[in-house]
Amino acid sequence: MQEFYLGVDVGSVSTNIVLMDKDNNIVSKKYLRTQGRPINILQKGLKEIKNEINNFEIKGVGTTGSGRHLANIILGADIVKNEITSHAVAAINYVPNVRTVLEIGGQDSKIIVLKDGIVTDFAMNTVCAAGTGSFLDRQASRLGIAIQDFGALALKAKNPVRIAGRCAVFAESDMIHKQQLGHNQEDIVRGLCQALVRNYLNNIGKGKDILAPIVFQGGVAANKGIKEAFVEALDTEIYVPKHHEVMGAIGAAILAKEEIKEKRTTSFKGIDIAENEYNVKGFECNDCSNMCEVIEIYSDGKVIARYSDKCGKWTNSLNSENQKLA
Amino acid sequence: MGQKVGIPQGLLFFDYYPLWKEFFSELGAEIVLSSKTNKDILDRGVSTCVDEACLPVKVFHGHVCDLKDRVDYLFIPKFISIYKKEFICPKFLGLPEMIKNSIKDLPPIIDIHIDLRKSKINIVNSIIKGGKYFTPSLIKISSAYNKAFKYYEKYIKLLNQGIIPMDAIKMYNSSITHKTKDNDNKPKIMILGHSYNLYDEHISMNVIKKINNKGINIITPEMIDENKARKYSSKLPKRMFWSFGSKIIGSAFAIMEEIKLDGIVYVSSFGCGIDSILLDIIERRSRKETIPFTLLTIDEHTGEAGVNTRIEAFIDMIKWRKKNEAHISTHG
Repeated sequence: MQEFYLGVDVGSVSTNIVLMDKDNNIVSKKYLRTQGRPINILQKGLKEIKNEINNFEIKGVGTTGSGRHLANIILGADIVKNEITSHAVAAINYVPNVRTVLEIGGQDSKIIVLKDGIVTDFAMNTVCAAGTGSFLDRQASRLGIAIQDFGALALKAKNPVRIAGRCAVFAESDMIHKQQLGHNQEDIVRGLCQALVRNYLNNIGKGKDILAPIVFQGGVAANKGIKEAFVEALDTEIYVPKHHEVMGAIGAAILAKEEIKEKRTTSFKGIDIAENEYNVKGFECNDCSNMCEVIEIYSDGKVIARYSDKCGKWTNSLNSENQKLA
Repeated sequence: MGQKVGIPQGLLFFDYYPLWKEFFSELGAEIVLSSKTNKDILDRGVSTCVDEACLPVKVFHGHVCDLKDRVDYLFIPKFISIYKKEFICPKFLGLPEMIKNSIKDLPPIIDIHIDLRKSKINIVNSIIKGGKYFTPSLIKISSAYNKAFKYYEKYIKLLNQGIIPMDAIKMYNSSITHKTKDNDNKPKIMILGHSYNLYDEHISMNVIKKINNKGINIITPEMIDENKARKYSSKLPKRMFWSFGSKIIGSAFAIMEEIKLDGIVYVSSFGCGIDSILLDIIERRSRKETIPFTLLTIDEHTGEAGVNTRIEAFIDMIKWRKKNEAHISTHG
């Protein structure tokens, strides 16, 4: 029987799952669109893995991403970590002397500065989503281009067009204006790549020392146009790891492996949870003026989790119910 | 029962509440507070306030809506300057007018002017004007102010000992005078920002408690002696003429020089003009001292995931760094 570690990254746009062996080799990876249904997509991914690989045992589970707590409830994780730490750990695994990690995901983008294998500084985008994957997604569909072809098209451009990059809404109107003027599509696409990179470096990278070796990861790293725009702007080589789109999940798996060294046994609920029936119900608690939107997760008719209440009344009542059951 | 004076729990509430409360109570008024900031107050504030204002000003509008039907007077002073040759944020200069324009059916507003920019004489007139709503006697007003000021001094003393305002407000008129000593081995993080952002548990999504609960000792600008902060901020090449600026920059510089700080978290409301300058000056300085710095921008968001992730990652990084330092020192 083979022994693997499971890493799960539930993000706003994609849900990523990796299966990793004890030497940090990736046995299987899944990159699935979250589509606002994280639980179902997570189950779908597990099912696919189960059908692909026979006879294995999960030794440990780590979850990360904005949906890491939800994933923990479903899976029973050994470690629940934020995206910054997970991405940093994964980058160090591939490039041990990495100094800068550029990560662009669906709703957020981050820069992580490292020294001697530890994180010394980081920044994430503030309230605005310009300079993230969603921005590109949106503009690609505006132009009627599949996001997969975006990068290759950008590389064909000879005279990139300047497009305002500070705000997604401004960029869109600027882009439409350039279209009406009759510019080539590839020049506009290249211009968009440069606008995103400019915005990223001015906003997130502001005041940071961006030193080589640089690792570029996240879903957007698949886009060659963006990578080229970074190389141009920073004037150094940029390394895009093979599994760049699932680095968060890889980090979570590595962290789970470390955790299991001390913890010994996993809390994983078993691969068969892929077959369970989950329902989510929400209600507005009217007991005080906060009017929290409480969320309940049911598995086979039983409440397994309740959260999002500020005062903790609902969360705690569930904990005490569980204790009684135990 | 005396007449009811309503005090909104917003903006400068955490800076002056004991002074205001004791002054009006001493004159026989009954103090009524608005509820703590909640979703309803936020919604009402956003819908009544002009769109361009910052989040704390909108929240303040919500507090006024919450109070206006249950009081005889609203206390909304017009803050112009609280120190010689300094100004407070421009939004405070027109606050009573803004409220009167945006919200209908208001009780009378006690909108005395607080202006110490040129001299301290003005403030005496303002105190008398405020007191005259309740008594014609100048002697009563003056003794009420003196008593209130003693409470206020005690409140400031508690803050300077490192007690957070939410707790100090409950303690200043009790017999408790000191706090239990912090465990010095824990990492220390300074949390910067305006008092009305930091200590409002709803707006800040409880960032102080969230950080504190992760085994971190916290320091905020209110814990630093005002004169000390002013001394440090005067080292800037250009005089800082915003009072908030000299307080936040001065206290940050003082702490960075005097103790070994592990990190700085700046909580800023989206679109704050003063913060845009302050946080850049502080970030540059912290970079020089290699102290990690992070910015939390807050607006009307109710999803806490963004704030939680940033706090968690920041603390992870600090603990990682600390562990590494310990590692080096044992071997070298």
